[in-house]
Amino acid sequence: MVHERTRTFLALSLVIVLALGMFGVTGCAAETDGETDGETTGEVEIIKVGVQTALTGPLPDYGAAAKNGIELAVEDFGTFEMDGTTYQVELVVLDDKAEPAESAVVAQTMVDEGVVGVIGSLTTGATLSAIPIYAENRIPQISGSVTGPAANADGVDTFYRTCWNDAVQGEALAVWAMELGAEKVVLMDDNGAYAVGLADVAEDTLQAEGVETLRQNCQSGDKDFSAQVANVKEFGPDAIIFTGYHPEAGLMRKQMVEAGLGDVIFMGGDGIKSAELVAQTGGEANAEGIYATFGGFPEEQQPGYAAFSAKYEETYGEAVGPYAQNNYDAFGALIAAIKQAGSLDTEAIIEALQTVEYEGVTGTFSFATAADGPVARGDVVVAGLTPANVPRYVVEGGEFVSVK
Amino acid sequence: MRLSEVTERVSAATARVPRSVYAVGGLVIAIIFPLLNMAGWVETAWLRVGVISLLFVMLSLGLNIVMGETGLLNLGYIAFFAFGAYTTALLSSPKFELRWPFLVVVVLSALIAMVAGFVIGLPTLRLRGDYLAIVTLAFGEIVRLTITNLQDFTNGPNGITGIYSPRLVGEGALESLGSTGPAAWLVIDKPVEYYYLVLVCVAVTAVLISNLKNSRIGRAWNALREDELAAVSAGITASRAKLLSVVLSAGIAGFAGSLFAYYSNVISPESFLFMQSVIVVCMVVLGGMGSIPGVILGAIVLQALPQVIRQAAGAARSEFEVYRMLIFGIIIVVMVIFRPEGLLPDTLWRREAHEVDPREQEKTRQSLFDLEEGEKDLEV
Repeated sequence: MVHERTRTFLALSLVIVLALGMFGVTGCAAETDGETDGETTGEVEIIKVGVQTALTGPLPDYGAAAKNGIELAVEDFGTFEMDGTTYQVELVVLDDKAEPAESAVVAQTMVDEGVVGVIGSLTTGATLSAIPIYAENRIPQISGSVTGPAANADGVDTFYRTCWNDAVQGEALAVWAMELGAEKVVLMDDNGAYAVGLADVAEDTLQAEGVETLRQNCQSGDKDFSAQVANVKEFGPDAIIFTGYHPEAGLMRKQMVEAGLGDVIFMGGDGIKSAELVAQTGGEANAEGIYATFGGFPEEQQPGYAAFSAKYEETYGEAVGPYAQNNYDAFGALIAAIKQAGSLDTEAIIEALQTVEYEGVTGTFSFATAADGPVARGDVVVAGLTPANVPRYVVEGGEFVSVK
Repeated sequence: MRLSEVTERVSAATARVPRSVYAVGGLVIAIIFPLLNMAGWVETAWLRVGVISLLFVMLSLGLNIVMGETGLLNLGYIAFFAFGAYTTALLSSPKFELRWPFLVVVVLSALIAMVAGFVIGLPTLRLRGDYLAIVTLAFGEIVRLTITNLQDFTNGPNGITGIYSPRLVGEGALESLGSTGPAAWLVIDKPVEYYYLVLVCVAVTAVLISNLKNSRIGRAWNALREDELAAVSAGITASRAKLLSVVLSAGIAGFAGSLFAYYSNVISPESFLFMQSVIVVCMVVLGGMGSIPGVILGAIVLQALPQVIRQAAGAARSEFEVYRMLIFGIIIVVMVIFRPEGLLPDTLWRREAHEVDPREQEKTRQSLFDLEEGEKDLEV
């Protein structure tokens, strides 16, 4: 009966842990409730804003950073006055696990909750199944981290994003390659959504200008690229645009140099702009002259970044997480649109988002009202951004330096 | 009273309830559920949870054929779901500008999944146990990677978007009937409409499978599971019976996949990860291998529980989201400790999972014997 007792003990302790966990959680909740209750007296009206992110699943750090960024924004813009009434935002944070099926349930929950707008979701794949639900129920959605060009292929007017569409970099890479005088270009992706999207846009841009292209691909995690190198050698290009990530890019470059293709211009997107790239190419000599673009202005060029990062570190005791400032801006832009609309009617907010111009941490931006080439509807439109001034970097002396 | 006694009594009590009570009760609850939404008592999100749960009920019912009845572990089951989903997406989306009739697409999706089941089943079914599990796992991954790489057909990782809503009648008939009143139900595009569509499909599947379970084929499967050598000696063609079970289960997964593609509007390889196969296996194990009401309950519990936990947190929900999956895991661990045979176990499986008091065992043996005797009478 020892066996039985151990099982009972194990189960009881699990139940106790569970109960304590619940108690702890509801305990904090009661506190926050108390705080809001104190302020809801009088003419303060509570409005709900949804946060659809992925707190569990493959990218919990990205999800937590998004939530942190939005919570900071609520502190700064969450209480505002409109027509003599004070409104206070209450966040409805729901986890979609970055899964498409769960995302649909979360989106429907947001609709049921009666949110005036949603910040999210975190990943392109999960967003795809949420977009039709928000569009049908007329709820504006602003994502701070969905960079995939596949999002909003249907061009609905409820989807917006404050981060750059990956397509911006795809075009920038193509333009840069042509500036460098390339007439034959190899495009290589790693079969991931991000890399394929980038390579597709770059390929279209190059072909439209009459540049001859060859498409190659590999799998994330590949170590041997001899087949691709042989194809590249046969094609004899001036440049190769590798749109995947640095581990494969480094090895590809190394194997190209070994095959005598060191003179071919090697370029990539922000997936290869990593300090580790140099080691992965097998040494400084191999890495020298690799070009990379970046999908956003560098932090030192983001006007509000210094103040934002100081506040973030003070509040959370850690460095700014990925896309936290874009999410902060997404919330700020939503509130700006509500104020501009002068109403909590979601139709009016959607209308306002078409014209709102917002000065945020990442810069001053508005949203695209129509799809145009690689630009999708609802994409962030950054003043003065052209394919030619997307941040450019080159490896010099073993590290990436900015190209002016 | 000790805990073990409680669980024993619960088991005994559940075993005494006639199966038809579960079937009718479950169906009535399932039919009434959306009415609560229409009355405004239940939020629409629960309907979406319901649709996904029902789709997973179908998947679990299908996997139960191979896993529960025939005793073959399949770790790549979601691949058949993917076959169905992609067949539907290609035949009913702007991708190739096709919009084939709903019924044709659904049947074709199931057939293609069945062909896939046949192709993978033929060479691998001579393997047993762990080896079969490994091969099926690899098959699941191969299918997913192929989908990711076949970009011309599947759009690769970007997935296929804008899948058309199912129309139950032809375009011409639709125009003449209009789109108001009851005729609105001819185009399935709202959560409640999907719910009832999938519910009908689940009910049909469940009835078919329960008939199959009690048929000659079902018994052949059980015999193969319990002792292949003895079964073969008794005149069962093992390869044919096993292949049939794999093909049928693949067909059900393809059917579910087709409905999933229609329902979710968008499909991408992310929906067909290895983890999804594992979850379906968990549903079958948790519900009770070989038991149809058990498997249905298992699928609903595993799909709906995370949502229930979320709602139970009430006002604390936003703070609670991170712990949701943790609590979900703890609950499953506790369930498996106390009911390894599953929530509503099959009689045979229940006896395997527990050491039974010899007197009790004698009683069950006697009752089984009576059952067999009774059936003999029927056959004569």
